[in-house]
Amino acid sequence: MNRRVLLALISWSFPCLGHASDPAPPTLDAKHRGLFENYCVSCHGPEKQKGKFRLDDLPLSITNLETAERWQKVLNQLNSGEMPPEGEKQLPNAAKTDFLDDLSNAMVAARRTLADQNGLITMRRLNRREYQNTLRDLLGVETPVAELPPDTGTGGFDTFGANLFLSSNQIEQYQSLGLRALDDAFLRSASPVGLQKQAGEAKDAEFVLNRNRQVDRIHAPGLTKVHYECEQGNAKVSDFVKWTIERRNQAEAWVKAFKEAAAKPENAALADKLRKEAKSEQALYEHWGKLGAPSPKDFGFGLDGASGSDQALQARADYGQKYHEYYLGLSDLDRGAYLGCLIQHPAELALGFLQLPVPREWTSGHFIFRVRIGAAPNARPEQRFLEIGTHPRIGRVTSTFEVRGTIQDPQILEMPFSLTKDMTDNGDRMLFIREKGSWDNNEQGFRRRGEAAKRNGIGPEAVLWVDWMEIERVPDPAAASPGMKALGIPFEDSAKVSLEDVRAALERFCAAAFRGMEPPASFLEKLTSLYDTQRQSGVRHGAALKETLSTVLASPMFLYLAEPVHDEKRHTLTGVELANRLSYFLWSAPPDETLLALGKSGELLQPEVLAKQTARLLESGRAEAFVHDFVHQWLGLDRLDFFQVNHLLYPRFDDATKLNARREIFETFAHLLKHNAPLSDLLKSDYVVVNHLLADFYGLEGVKGDAFQKVSLPAGSPRGGLLGMAAVHFMGGNGERTNPVERGAWVLRKLLNDPPPPAPANVPQLARLAGKVLSTRERMQAHQEDAQCASCHRKIDPLGFGLENFDAAGQWRTEDSYQLKDAKGKPVPDTLKTWPIEARATLHKGPSFADFFELRDLIASKSDAFAKGFSTALLEYALGRSVGFRDEPLLSSMCTKAKEERLGLRAFIHTLVASPEFRTK
Amino acid sequence: MNTRRHFLQSSTALIALPFLESLGFRRFASAAPVATPPKRLIFLGFGWGITEATWYPDITKPGPDYELPLGLKPLERHRKDFSVVQGLWNKYSNEGHWGSTMWLTGANRYAQPGQSFHNSISADQVAAAQLGLQTRFASLQWNGTEKGDGGHGPGLSLAWDISGKPLGGQTGPVEAFHRLFAKDTMPLAQQKALLTKKRSVLDAVLDNAKSLQRGLARQDNAKLDEYFQGIRDIETRLSKEEQWLEIPRPNAPIPPPEATVVGSGFEEIRLMYDLMIAAMQTDSTRVLTFRQPVASLLISLGIKIHPHDMSHYHSVGGEKLDASQRRDTAQSELLAGFLDKLKSTREADGSSLFDHVALAYGSNLRTGHELTNCPTLLTGRGAGLKLGHSIVAPKDTPLCNAWLTMLHGIGVEAERHGDSTGVLQEILA
Repeated sequence: MNRRVLLALISWSFPCLGHASDPAPPTLDAKHRGLFENYCVSCHGPEKQKGKFRLDDLPLSITNLETAERWQKVLNQLNSGEMPPEGEKQLPNAAKTDFLDDLSNAMVAARRTLADQNGLITMRRLNRREYQNTLRDLLGVETPVAELPPDTGTGGFDTFGANLFLSSNQIEQYQSLGLRALDDAFLRSASPVGLQKQAGEAKDAEFVLNRNRQVDRIHAPGLTKVHYECEQGNAKVSDFVKWTIERRNQAEAWVKAFKEAAAKPENAALADKLRKEAKSEQALYEHWGKLGAPSPKDFGFGLDGASGSDQALQARADYGQKYHEYYLGLSDLDRGAYLGCLIQHPAELALGFLQLPVPREWTSGHFIFRVRIGAAPNARPEQRFLEIGTHPRIGRVTSTFEVRGTIQDPQILEMPFSLTKDMTDNGDRMLFIREKGSWDNNEQGFRRRGEAAKRNGIGPEAVLWVDWMEIERVPDPAAASPGMKALGIPFEDSAKVSLEDVRAALERFCAAAFRGMEPPASFLEKLTSLYDTQRQSGVRHGAALKETLSTVLASPMFLYLAEPVHDEKRHTLTGVELANRLSYFLWSAPPDETLLALGKSGELLQPEVLAKQTARLLESGRAEAFVHDFVHQWLGLDRLDFFQVNHLLYPRFDDATKLNARREIFETFAHLLKHNAPLSDLLKSDYVVVNHLLADFYGLEGVKGDAFQKVSLPAGSPRGGLLGMAAVHFMGGNGERTNPVERGAWVLRKLLNDPPPPAPANVPQLARLAGKVLSTRERMQAHQEDAQCASCHRKIDPLGFGLENFDAAGQWRTEDSYQLKDAKGKPVPDTLKTWPIEARATLHKGPSFADFFELRDLIASKSDAFAKGFSTALLEYALGRSVGFRDEPLLSSMCTKAKEERLGLRAFIHTLVASPEFRTK
Repeated sequence: MNTRRHFLQSSTALIALPFLESLGFRRFASAAPVATPPKRLIFLGFGWGITEATWYPDITKPGPDYELPLGLKPLERHRKDFSVVQGLWNKYSNEGHWGSTMWLTGANRYAQPGQSFHNSISADQVAAAQLGLQTRFASLQWNGTEKGDGGHGPGLSLAWDISGKPLGGQTGPVEAFHRLFAKDTMPLAQQKALLTKKRSVLDAVLDNAKSLQRGLARQDNAKLDEYFQGIRDIETRLSKEEQWLEIPRPNAPIPPPEATVVGSGFEEIRLMYDLMIAAMQTDSTRVLTFRQPVASLLISLGIKIHPHDMSHYHSVGGEKLDASQRRDTAQSELLAGFLDKLKSTREADGSSLFDHVALAYGSNLRTGHELTNCPTLLTGRGAGLKLGHSIVAPKDTPLCNAWLTMLHGIGVEAERHGDSTGVLQEILA
């Protein structure tokens, strides 16, 4: 087998042969034999077997674990540079590089082949996401699943049954999470919204304000809506200003008295002596007693036991008075408040944001938050965005909105949100709003404040005006949830329910929870007796019922996606099983009534019905689970959360922009899905899917609104497709500097379907360049010197070089620089090196490109490889297993069918769903 | 309930339940302190390794008179009481970011045909199976509070059970304290009723599992086995709870930790060490593991560099190298403090905890993606180890040889462990 074919096989782009025979095992090119014979066999051959290792009889085809382990040993020894030993003849670099390249890829292929299950799908438990969605569908409540162990870690999607372990305390965790969900559902079904509000009971909400102008808490007994007029807090600003002025006058008076005392002739000698001894001017004032000055306490300082003189001296500072007076001079303060800038400690006065707590009475449920807001005429375009989030002190921003209203004609913004009973932390229940990018973190906030003060002598202008904020409860889905409906018996402790009725209720609840699987009679018996035993021992009806139901939610028929068969042959799925497989694929949740009914009747087994349902599920808003969770894992987006951007280096890539840059990836994919647009648009396109905020970041004119929309690009734009997205380039760096290796490897993995082997262990690190001032490319050149590095980096690095025009925040740049940093992280003077970006490079065994645009065209021309990689990911995600050799025909047909529809995204999904692989077990 | 054993046998595999429900056990558990204090085993593991150039003693000059390297300097006062061992590794480890997954197991992730991930029992669990019978907790596995996998690799703690499945534990000092010392204020009768209820719950889900099992293929059955194993584990624990029902939880020798300490890096590690001392003082367990945090430790040291970035300091040096060395120093300071306390905490017979402990401190990762010469520091006088030496084992000696030696040293019977090839004579006194 020649090398070309070998590599093709390894990257799983083997042409479809029309039938799936036994896979050819990963095999090394026989040309490498010569290498061993010359350099290895004298010690590891027929005569000598140093280290009990023999190489000459090692088969080139890796067909079993033993052979794989022996080759792994060879790879490890070469990678670590230990073989051949020092003093022995060394392998020539070029041949070694090629061999390492082949061997490391062959090992990846061998690991896959050896783990190939011939299409067998392992039954699996629900992963965290699915568990959460399934409970939500059943009971209408949210569940905090973060306490469950994570589902990923050993590679692959979180749908891989073989990797979804169940650790021993998990069963109890499921029961306790289930119990909490039931608690919530019972509570909310017992007193759904609307019923709470009874005539005569409802009072106006009471708002408790802090001195810092913020609403601290709200009492809203019997209410379903709280409405806060923001001007109420303005008095706190003037109070603060008045107070600081009074304090300052007092302080000045005391200082004056002190000075007078010190200046008295009889005190001159003592004052002189104390002045000499004092470590600072401030310290001198502590001796007021010795000098016979009045006590600062008489002036109101040091009453809390702290140093009175210190307090008095500090009180002479200006406490942001200028800014606060500027604030108080703004227009329309009688009917609203402004989002300004944090000047004081937020406990004293918080002008940077406005907060609104969810009333304590509303423990859980679904809500809408509304803000009536407008921008001042002097607001610059980039200031006309609002951030909404929770935890105002930390600033956990969850969404952004464009502000198009004015102070005279404000607009109302709406954001739905939900709370669970477990969210008892104040911050989780505290909504806040602030101007976009006004205070992402202290470092950035202080800098922005300082710059504005330098410009206008005051500070950042307050340009967003807020009329009011309100929170409204929305009708509760818990009461109408399938689980609570199925239960169908009263659950108040006072209710009289016979054991027969409880048994019947349990049966109905199990049927709803088991997604079409019949609850076994023996299980129902055990449940009924569990309920009964508790009742006998004095537990009340409601609690006993909940405990019993939580047992249902911890049982395997709820937790596992089981597709029982009775032998080892392949079977066609039943209608119900197919309904479940389809809905967990596209919704990560159980089938709805329609789908389950079609499954039960068997109609779903008809291809046209299945296709129609697939389209229906994709068009539903619930397909967001697929868009988000599949794309997140497919493209490896967890890296977006690995590090923070350096706000000082990239001020425009603020948190709000990052939030929207992340959304761009999902929104673009959703756009392709909705319009059945070509998958290849992700490699290159003449449009982007952005909203106003992100359009501003990309410098695109004329985009309005918060909704992501298709926007045509001007000719010559580097945007369009994944390689034009800020989030993608952000991942290919560390928030400060770009990382061409990370980027190149990502392109190989995700776009070109030619993943490099995982970073090998034990390769000696390159240390000799440490402390040198080099350009990125100069540093990367070192990768080419050692075979261990070159074998992978010759493929990776050129791709990364071609993307160097994008900085670590995804902005276009034409030069880059590097400066040494000392151990404290401070730049070393005179070590700054600046160079123009040269994106030119030559792909390994491939063409050259002159710049990013030519590289993008080269990558775009590989849409077949991209489609193959996408199909592979889709199949793995949908079926919960790795692809194997026998999947080749299906992967090919997914690509072929899609090609007939211009690579339309839906064609991939429809072909997969219609395939025997999807429809059998 | 004599049906309990019957029900356990009826699931897919048979496990032996400890026959401890008898009066004999109660007498034992509540008896006066035994004459000889028990042996304890502790593993402290950190992700992301150490700074290779400044953490190891000079490999060419082994022996008692070695020069203490920079990274171990804070341990100077204990230098006669620990040894650094070089030359150890897990030969099957190939994952450059997995500092803990196979550290105590020595497993080959590819050992199981048809599976892309496999692990086997960890050394602490081997010990727990024998030392754990007499204590309230057979073992405790603790984790640092950390976002992401912290350079540890897959797993829920350092511990892996007998079937190679990850074992969960407590995260952070608040959870750990609660596990050890939370008082049950419930009246005894109610506690007993609660146990009965828990068993009825188990009975019900077991029934459900068996119904499901009837239609399953071989492969799926193996998956459902995890569920059965889960039930058996709970059952074992309930039996244990029952045995300890009438023995009140010990009083905590230290105050409960503040919630603010969770995720505080340096302070959190220090508190976890204090809690380990408390766990041993009260003989709540004799087997402890702690998967230490690194990211939060760096933050608490004022270092802003991502730990993975730091572990690749070679190509640029500078602040990354500095961060890596400061991490080493901080970890050594913490360990030195732990050793102080182990030495100053007295057993009933006047000896110190240190005299009865065998402790290993290290990682499967050296630096970057290096998996050879795993950083290994052994201490404690409980296992007859040679202390005060820089020890160099023959190159590429299995780490599991060290674990086996420690197991033997504390009286745990094991023929082999992981990929061990025998006892490591070099570390024996």
